[in-house]
Amino acid sequence: MPTLVKNLGVARDDWTLLEAPVAPPHVPERAILPLAAWLEGGAAFKARTDMGVWLAGDADPEANAAALAALPLLAIHIPAFADGRGLSLGALLRTRYGFGGELRAFGDILPDLAPYLHRCGFDAFVLADDRAAHAAIEAVGAITGHYQASATAPLPAFRRLARDAAEGVG
Amino acid sequence: MYRYTEFDQRFIDERVAQYRQQTRRYLAGELTDEQFQQLRLRNGLYIQRLAPMLRVAVPYGTLSATQLRALADISRRYDKGYGHLTTRQNVQFNWPTLEAVPDILADLATVEMHAIQTSGSCIRNITTDQFAGVAADEAVDPRPYCEITRQWSSQHPEFDWLPRKFKIALNGAAADRAATQVHDIGIRVRRDAAGQDVFDFLVGGGLGRTPAIGGVIREGLAVEHLLTYLEAILRIYNRYGRRDNKYKARIKILARAMTLPGLKERVDAEWAHLQDGPGTLTAAEIQRVKAHFAPPAYAQQADATALLAERRLASPAFNAWMRNNVAAHRAPGYAIVTLSTKLTGVPPGDVTDVQMDAVADWADAYGHGEVRIGHEQNFILPDVPLGQLPELWERATAQGLAAANLGLLTDMVCCPGGDYCSLANAKSIPLAEAIQRRFDDRDYLHDLGQIDLNISGCMNACGHHHVGHIGILGVDKKGAEFYQVSLGGNAGDDASLGKILGPSFGREEVPDVIEGILDVFVQERREAEPFLHCVRRIGIEPFRQRAYANAG
Ligand code: HEM
Ligand code: SF4
Repeated sequence: MPTLVKNLGVARDDWTLLEAPVAPPHVPERAILPLAAWLEGGAAFKARTDMGVWLAGDADPEANAAALAALPLLAIHIPAFADGRGLSLGALLRTRYGFGGELRAFGDILPDLAPYLHRCGFDAFVLADDRAAHAAIEAVGAITGHYQASATAPLPAFRRLARDAAEGVG
Repeated sequence: MYRYTEFDQRFIDERVAQYRQQTRRYLAGELTDEQFQQLRLRNGLYIQRLAPMLRVAVPYGTLSATQLRALADISRRYDKGYGHLTTRQNVQFNWPTLEAVPDILADLATVEMHAIQTSGSCIRNITTDQFAGVAADEAVDPRPYCEITRQWSSQHPEFDWLPRKFKIALNGAAADRAATQVHDIGIRVRRDAAGQDVFDFLVGGGLGRTPAIGGVIREGLAVEHLLTYLEAILRIYNRYGRRDNKYKARIKILARAMTLPGLKERVDAEWAHLQDGPGTLTAAEIQRVKAHFAPPAYAQQADATALLAERRLASPAFNAWMRNNVAAHRAPGYAIVTLSTKLTGVPPGDVTDVQMDAVADWADAYGHGEVRIGHEQNFILPDVPLGQLPELWERATAQGLAAANLGLLTDMVCCPGGDYCSLANAKSIPLAEAIQRRFDDRDYLHDLGQIDLNISGCMNACGHHHVGHIGILGVDKKGAEFYQVSLGGNAGDDASLGKILGPSFGREEVPDVIEGILDVFVQERREAEPFLHCVRRIGIEPFRQRAYANAG
């Protein structure tokens, strides 16, 4: 059964992902809508605070970045486990567009992708089953220091290490 | 050369543990073949026709003597006592078992080596001029920038799951020995009028099925912007590169679809967000890395002119080696020596454990303990005192590493082909050997001058046949092995792609075809005209006629 990992723990999923558009009055609470459906819903949808949106890997959120960034949840679809587009998309939403809500990955997600997702700013991912979910959580801690700046490390290693050295931190 | 910091070492050690865990999960049935494939590829492990093949990274082709001894040791303990030097300056082992790979990686980590990102759809080993830091024609030593790029590309959070593999090469000399025009990104490092290091960026080169020459996308970029500019290019590629067809997934296809100016516009717009951000290199970091590549203390050497002249006169073989395999060094009294692996009868690039140990010993005895691997699949000793050349030559001769054919016809680049590779249409190693046997007259080869002959066993182009002055490609004709011949390719400063002569030949015809081509060259050349120039001047038609006449 698909298992949600949130903030590096297994969590209950109280959102409903809608694959196809639903007419506005029938949208349930805590629904995650496809981007196009949400855009079509216009102001009525934008006014709702219990609505999330999901994006395909090739989505261009630039045009609607401000409105999307205000939502409580954004989900990105990973169509195949080796498809890294969602990583760039997530990193952009988190770091460039200032999205502060739940950033979730769903689709074909290998536990070994979790460390990358985590570093690109995803705080939630849906794994195939419980075992995969636990493997994903474990995978995130495997490597403790990376070179690049990321959503989890605002400075690249060379700046961090130079700063620590200057401050006399081990 | 670069030495790991504590941070670097921890990263490598943790990566080994991570891979060990991935292997364990695979063997326990928790990962499918397809899932594990992506994980093992990111650690250099292919499963080939005969056995798994492990590709060890040799960042920008630089090794210490200690590291080379460790590779020799690994070849003895986990393989059949030999390794293979690749055209991307790495070392490959053909016979390890899948179960042993975590242990091999752990051994490598003790000498600051790894196999990270040597295959798979990610940023691959960074390559450069094999003479970097010692070449007489060098403007800027590219190695510090290679190392900075290596670190940045290691498990990048966004760019380890790209549409396709991604290759970056840097070159800092007048001659382009890094083939920057046929890489996904080629970076030319130079010193500008103000005395600052700057980069020219080329994008969209590559070989494979759709060979392409890269175009300039940025000129004169200040060094501190290296990583942010790379990030901008990679982000555009990661987001917009095709993923529906792996043969159309390289950045060269995106560059063609967007056009180069179109791609540049996207990249520059992306870079505007990143420019001067935290990814910008600091002067202190550049200095820190540069310090690792400071030139060694070159001693004043006794004048060796008389000694060398006498030895060259006494031995035509030594004379030929001096002429072909010894290059000018920037420090007086020293030379750069290339130890050719292209001895007739030995698969190009194959070296035994004994040879590796010997080269490591020579690196200590006749240098500063450093060895290079060039993309022509040879070893290079970068710092040999002139007076010690005769002794080194004798020892190299005894080890079968003194073939005096560097740059000549028999110094071929050749992929593993049908003997090892499951993708092959045809064998390449036996063909290379047949050509070497046909043309083994030293004086004739020298008279022909520089000719790059490159052989690939299929259109994936691992042997770089497109950029060989003579290129040979294995093709499949109704289940039989045939070879297509092209002329006029070049990987150097003015890169070009070879033109195909016509219908393919049977394997036994190829040496005759090459002979015909060489005869036309000898007949048509002007004075000391190199082969490539001659082909460019007279076109392929005269060669084509003779080739098909010879093939009968
Ligand atoms: C034996 C197993 C090997 C397999 C299965 C293999 C597979 C491939 C494939 C599929 C490509 C095409 C990539 C593309 O079109 O994008 C390729 C390219 C390449 N391979 Fe290999 N290869 C093997 C061995 C080697 C070896 C031993 C070398 C070095 C001597 C090598 C060097 C290269 C290079 C330099 C390219 C790049 C061509 C380019 O720029 O597109 N390969 N290889
Ligand atoms: S060119 Fe083809 S045959 Fe040769 S190694 Fe590459 S994939 Fe194999």
